[in-house]
Amino acid sequence: MNTEMLKQRSAVIKAIRAFFDGQGYVEMHTPRLVGIPSQEPHLEPLWTEVLGIDASRHPAALITSPEHALKRLLAAGMDKVYDLGSCFRNGEPWDGTHDPEFLMIEWYRKQANLASLMDETEAMVRAVHGTILPVIFSMPERPFRRLTVTDAWRHYAGIDLIPLLENREAMAAAARAHDQVVNEEDTWDDLYYKIFLSKIEPHVGEEPTFLYRYPASQAGLSLRSADDTRFADRVEFYIGGMELANGFAELSDAAEQRARFQEDVRLRAALHKKTWLLDEPFLKALPGMGEAVGIALGVDRLVMLLTGATSINDVIPFSARERFTH
Amino acid sequence: MASPNDIKKGAVLLHNTEPWVVAEFQHINPGKGAAFVRTRIKNLKNGRTLEQTYKVSESVEFVAVEYKNMQYLYKDATGYTFMDNGTYEQCTMEESAVGEQGKYLREGLDVTLTMYEERPIALQLPKKMAFKIAETMPAVKGDTAGGNVTKDAKTDNGFTVQVPLFIQEGEEVIVNTDTGMYVERA
Repeated sequence: MNTEMLKQRSAVIKAIRAFFDGQGYVEMHTPRLVGIPSQEPHLEPLWTEVLGIDASRHPAALITSPEHALKRLLAAGMDKVYDLGSCFRNGEPWDGTHDPEFLMIEWYRKQANLASLMDETEAMVRAVHGTILPVIFSMPERPFRRLTVTDAWRHYAGIDLIPLLENREAMAAAARAHDQVVNEEDTWDDLYYKIFLSKIEPHVGEEPTFLYRYPASQAGLSLRSADDTRFADRVEFYIGGMELANGFAELSDAAEQRARFQEDVRLRAALHKKTWLLDEPFLKALPGMGEAVGIALGVDRLVMLLTGATSINDVIPFSARERFTH
Repeated sequence: MASPNDIKKGAVLLHNTEPWVVAEFQHINPGKGAAFVRTRIKNLKNGRTLEQTYKVSESVEFVAVEYKNMQYLYKDATGYTFMDNGTYEQCTMEESAVGEQGKYLREGLDVTLTMYEERPIALQLPKKMAFKIAETMPAVKGDTAGGNVTKDAKTDNGFTVQVPLFIQEGEEVIVNTDTGMYVERA
């Protein structure tokens, strides 16, 4: 860790709160410890157990993100909420950009679309950047680039993604043509990522960029795009070569959300991973949320960007690497 | 067959029946997708480089390599020359294969070389090394007010490193050879 950078981390956190408070958001401290964490195929919660005074035992986990609780708050009548707090993900590499306990700012607002979510994310990053000295990262004056996934594929790999959508054989041929190993068990999404991570993603973050309009199979909890349901209204934000945020125009259709959760559980089971019950209170509340957008941004990585730190371990007081290795 | 989780810098993979050495690797979990290892690999026969992404659940084939503890001797037009202190055997590694790591080498330094078919293909340095500061400006009052917390310093090995303002000429500092960053006073 680097104590000068830790001081700047403190200033970044204050500036983030000042930004959202100024925009009329309400800060929520949602639970870190829950009975049913979200069940994404490739995120692993940290499990523990809550003991009752009557010796009852309740399986519990630390959240991978406050998404379910914040959406339930929207359904309960709140309009603009944010949560700034630790999130936990197990089994990720301690490689200088990950820590099992990391700080996330996640915010939601009703009656907004993906474009306004990008506007607000950009405004927040610029506002925080403007309050932090010394200025290490030179922020471009022109607006952050907004690039669809389709345009990124064409621009960086020379591949037209449209004919490859939902066509595994065509995607396999494209992967082979771009030097990737293709195995029989590779799904369309696996092949997509082999090309994307090798040829496209390393270049996307060269300038601040919102990458949006993802293939529907990577929708997560987002709405399908109104004009073409093969895509979904998901956005990722890249800056300084790092992926900093992931956001959605939020899906509020409980039936479709249930089907996606069930597909996630099926995939986890196929990968021999632990599975658990669906978050029924969340599914029940979802239709009450209505139209909303939300995004989660990694604060430690934002601090890395603004301080010029080359490792997340510099900007966390006692990172996992310091705590768990000797 | 092995797991992509075992991929390391300097490991040699068999890809399309040819040997490729791993120059860089990074674990990536895109959140909504599977877990992957992104690599940059270099063909040991023709020098071609490639970005190759492996799914963590698939298998990869490593080619056996040998690790040798050697001592650095000198650099000349053919590259960097090392010697095995047990057998007095010498070998030379091209400048382009050593790359950025070359700036840390000094006579007598013990390193580990990765050998493939008797040829050195990768170099492992001590993770932390001490260097004497040969040249740096004294700290000036007001530097910290402007927000500067580090300054340039030239080491006795000739490369420049960012150090805290309080470091003075003649002091020894520890540098992390993976990141190139100052760690602490020696």
